[in-house]
Amino acid sequence: MKQKNAGRLFESLNITLLFILAVLCLAPLLHIVSLSLSSGTEITSGRVTIFPRGFNIESYQQMLQDVSMFRSLLFTVVLTVTFTVLCMLMTILAAYPLTKKGLKGRKFILYFIVLTMYFGGGVIPDYMLTKGLHLLNSMWALILPGLISPFYMIIMMSFFRSIPQGLEEAAEIDGASFNGILMRIILPLSVPVLVTLSLFYAVGRWNGFSDSLYYITDPKLYPLQLKLYQIVMNSMLVGQDAAERLSQLENPILPESLKAASIIFSIVPIVIVYPWLQKYFVTGTMLGSVKE
Amino acid sequence: MSTGSYIRRFWQLYAMLLLPVSFFALFKYGPMYGVTIAFKDYNIFQGIWQSPWNGTETFREIFDMQTFKTALRNTFLLNFLDLAVSFPAPIILALMLNEVRQMRVKRVFQTVMYFPHFISWVIIGGLFLQIFATNSGIINQMLNHAGFQSIPFLSNKYWWLATYLVAGVWQSVGWGTIIYLAALTGINKELYEAAETDGAGRMKRMWHITLPGIRPTILMLLILAIGEMPRIGFERPFVLGNSMVSDFSEVLSTFVYKIGLQTGEFSIATAVGLFQSVIALVFLLGANTITRKFADQSIV
Amino acid sequence: MEVFDRGNAPAGLTVTDNAGTRYAQKNFGDPNNIKLEFVPVPRSQEVDKLNVLMASGNAPDIVFTYDEGVAHKYMQQGGLTDVGSLIDQYGPNLKSYLGADTLAYGLWDNKQLSIPAKRAFTGMTSYMIRQDWLDKLGLAVPATTEETYQALKGFKDKQLGGQGTIPLGLALHEDEYIPLVMGLIKESPTEEDYYTKMQRLGVHEYPILFDGHKDAIRTLNQWYNEGLISPDFGLDKDQKVRKEGVSTGKVGMYSEQASQSFEGGDSGEQATLAKNVPGGTVTPVDPFTNDAGKHVKELNPPTGAYLMIPKTSKAAAQAVQYLDWLVQSNNLFYYKFNGPEGTGYQMQDGIPVQIKQSDIKPENNVFNSSDMTIISNGLELGSTDLNIKYLEQSYDPSYTARADAAFKLSITDAQPIHYFPKPIDAESKYAQVLKGKYEELLVKSIMAKPADFDKTYDDLFKQYMASGGSEIQKEREAAYKAMKP
Repeated sequence: MKQKNAGRLFESLNITLLFILAVLCLAPLLHIVSLSLSSGTEITSGRVTIFPRGFNIESYQQMLQDVSMFRSLLFTVVLTVTFTVLCMLMTILAAYPLTKKGLKGRKFILYFIVLTMYFGGGVIPDYMLTKGLHLLNSMWALILPGLISPFYMIIMMSFFRSIPQGLEEAAEIDGASFNGILMRIILPLSVPVLVTLSLFYAVGRWNGFSDSLYYITDPKLYPLQLKLYQIVMNSMLVGQDAAERLSQLENPILPESLKAASIIFSIVPIVIVYPWLQKYFVTGTMLGSVKE
Repeated sequence: MSTGSYIRRFWQLYAMLLLPVSFFALFKYGPMYGVTIAFKDYNIFQGIWQSPWNGTETFREIFDMQTFKTALRNTFLLNFLDLAVSFPAPIILALMLNEVRQMRVKRVFQTVMYFPHFISWVIIGGLFLQIFATNSGIINQMLNHAGFQSIPFLSNKYWWLATYLVAGVWQSVGWGTIIYLAALTGINKELYEAAETDGAGRMKRMWHITLPGIRPTILMLLILAIGEMPRIGFERPFVLGNSMVSDFSEVLSTFVYKIGLQTGEFSIATAVGLFQSVIALVFLLGANTITRKFADQSIV
Repeated sequence: MEVFDRGNAPAGLTVTDNAGTRYAQKNFGDPNNIKLEFVPVPRSQEVDKLNVLMASGNAPDIVFTYDEGVAHKYMQQGGLTDVGSLIDQYGPNLKSYLGADTLAYGLWDNKQLSIPAKRAFTGMTSYMIRQDWLDKLGLAVPATTEETYQALKGFKDKQLGGQGTIPLGLALHEDEYIPLVMGLIKESPTEEDYYTKMQRLGVHEYPILFDGHKDAIRTLNQWYNEGLISPDFGLDKDQKVRKEGVSTGKVGMYSEQASQSFEGGDSGEQATLAKNVPGGTVTPVDPFTNDAGKHVKELNPPTGAYLMIPKTSKAAAQAVQYLDWLVQSNNLFYYKFNGPEGTGYQMQDGIPVQIKQSDIKPENNVFNSSDMTIISNGLELGSTDLNIKYLEQSYDPSYTARADAAFKLSITDAQPIHYFPKPIDAESKYAQVLKGKYEELLVKSIMAKPADFDKTYDDLFKQYMASGGSEIQKEREAAYKAMKP
């Protein structure tokens, strides 16, 4: 009885703490949503916190009229999906063999890969390579250079290693090839980490824009984040130099609420991916299936 | 094993590695000649190959700068504190979430906590100013109303460290939890059931079953985090920092931004990066050796 | 031709294909058998992208940057075409439009390696004060430092903006603190002072070595401790808090880029203030006087962006021809006013005036006119008065009189940048670091307790000098001697 009470106390304390944290995490998003729905006067006065003031939906109307936003969205979805699928394929191809202790040259290859976590050529040689491969202004420039993240490969290896050796050995005795073991044992047992890393790759691609800054000049191939970045940074920079400010007088300025609406537009699609993936995170799935 | 049977056994693994290894060779080692910029008097128009060598002069120049030394010290300071605070935070949160029985509630919490990862530091910085500013911030106005002194969250350098850490935890904790949640799925449910019949309380189960279950993941991420000690992201210190706390907020990334990139000093930027990389590699391998010795686990 | 992409193209248009690019192709490209191509560069990362384009030999025939440091770097590294003779040959209009003053900024070792854009109006900063508050106190617009101080004190004592009134609004932004510091320096600088005691860190010149500098900061320290200055100004790096203070009617006086308060349409500072506070108006003021009774302030250089033709370009002559075509008034006006004379604008008293075109289709709109005419910042119409009048067109008519006053005030007693024939190396190297150090000095000294002021200031001054300040000083003194033997 006493233990039950303690358990209940623990549970309510736990839930309360989590609730507070959740509210703190939700607040900035609410702030941006409110900005996107508020009037310019209220925003300039600094009165918009987590509720909209001077409610209006003009910024959304204006944004949704812009066909190029949807084109960017579509492109970004295609880009992200292609990227994620290829990354996962390549990462599996690298991670699985490198967990096999008996493989000669394994250490060498591992060091060969780990070094690239820390050493790189920098922006200019990267650009020269992309140009040399004739990838400028193509979706592949945003995919190929990022195919394998050594960090994620190491994480994947660690999960592969945690699969009981006995299963693989049994399969090998039954005459299964490494290929077969990977497909029939390792991958089915690693669904949670595969889902996690796919999410990491996808979010990384979705949020990244610095490569597109260099490699893409065709506005049709602008990822959403690049468009967003330009929209958000636009007015911040104009104020920096008086010469530029006066020369910009005759051009349209983007209202704060439109910026906020664009931010919402760009994060909603990727944010809703996660709840949908959560069904793959069920405790005990892995060993349960092993037993069968 | 004879060579023939070795090949027969392992050829598939080598075939699998073919594409990944070519990828690294082409896209990572191909441009690697760029590191020579650190040892050259780089002229953007002559290109990397034609620019004249200047030996270690760039390094000497950097090490002579007081601002570099401060930035180096601060990078380690901030990263060390992050390791002490921001690294355990997702583990604790994952354990807490794991104890929530109602699946729906748990999912809502998880989803909401992962939002801050998607909000850029520029926006977070603006919000922090509204909340934590010394005189006009919301918290201090409430404190003043209640008759307390203002707390200089952003303008006193020690308080600033705390604010910096809180911001980091807040922004990354939910996101960091995901990998542990994946690891938690590997724990056998029967272990919990057995423990419960033995009358083990929640804390006991957490300590004896859950934590050991995710230990390999924790150790692996710890090694990687130690390898990241010499490097630091740009936006968080840059956005949150200000001139009153520059004793702590100037780090290597902001140093490179100010002295290197903005003035087109590629040699300096590359040299600082190379210096960081070498230390990072030493740290990673060091941590790797230690965990291999004492915990029988390593990543390379 | 490089063109900035600011992410503000209206629906369906891009910076590389719009009415403006088509006009250029039709009127310049086609007659000369040239296919014009526009290469977009994101405004926010122009330097990064430009560096990569230059390094890879992929740069367009005409590139430009607002970053003077980057321009100097390119000039120094020798990757640019000397366009001196090309301008003589192909650019008569260009030469006369820019003028020798502006072109001089593009010289390097007497070679014209860059073509600076013309800045038609060089006024930099203005100050604003709440007219309705002055009225309430029965004061005239202050004309000396002492009168200003009294007004600020009055604002504070009467709490005219309610609780939390900020008599002097300030942000840690060079557009705001430089005018205050310059204005509060008591000594009258000589020409030599300007050359040797100023340190140019980025856009602005910092008067840190002036004899009166410390006392100017001391005055600010005193004001801060009397509660006259924004309490959290050290945290307000992007002016957001200060602007909010103005918009909500809490701030009494402030400095800004000339006339900025009247911009921003409905969400601008003055517009929002009027909505928040009935009768709330700001009016331009020239608040500070030195010992000679002068209102000293800085001017912008007569340049805007730096245009350059890389050595890799095979069409340098055509590039110059294009710029020469661009500065011809009918073409400039076409871009600025979205159409030719008669439909886009008409001439009135020597200035082109916009004709309101209600029926203009979005696809005919030159939405990025100022980027298309990057060679001209504002319009050079022959006299300062006309140039200001042109600028005023973009303001709401109810603000015109005050905007006019603010622009005129920004050039009263103002000092042009004293420019050396060759940029100071130490400045381009340490500018960012020193700016950080200077702001640290400013914030910590102003916020110190009066008793600690000397120590705080002297410590930080030493740090500033040790971080590159002395090197700039030495280089400037040597350069001055070389210039004036």
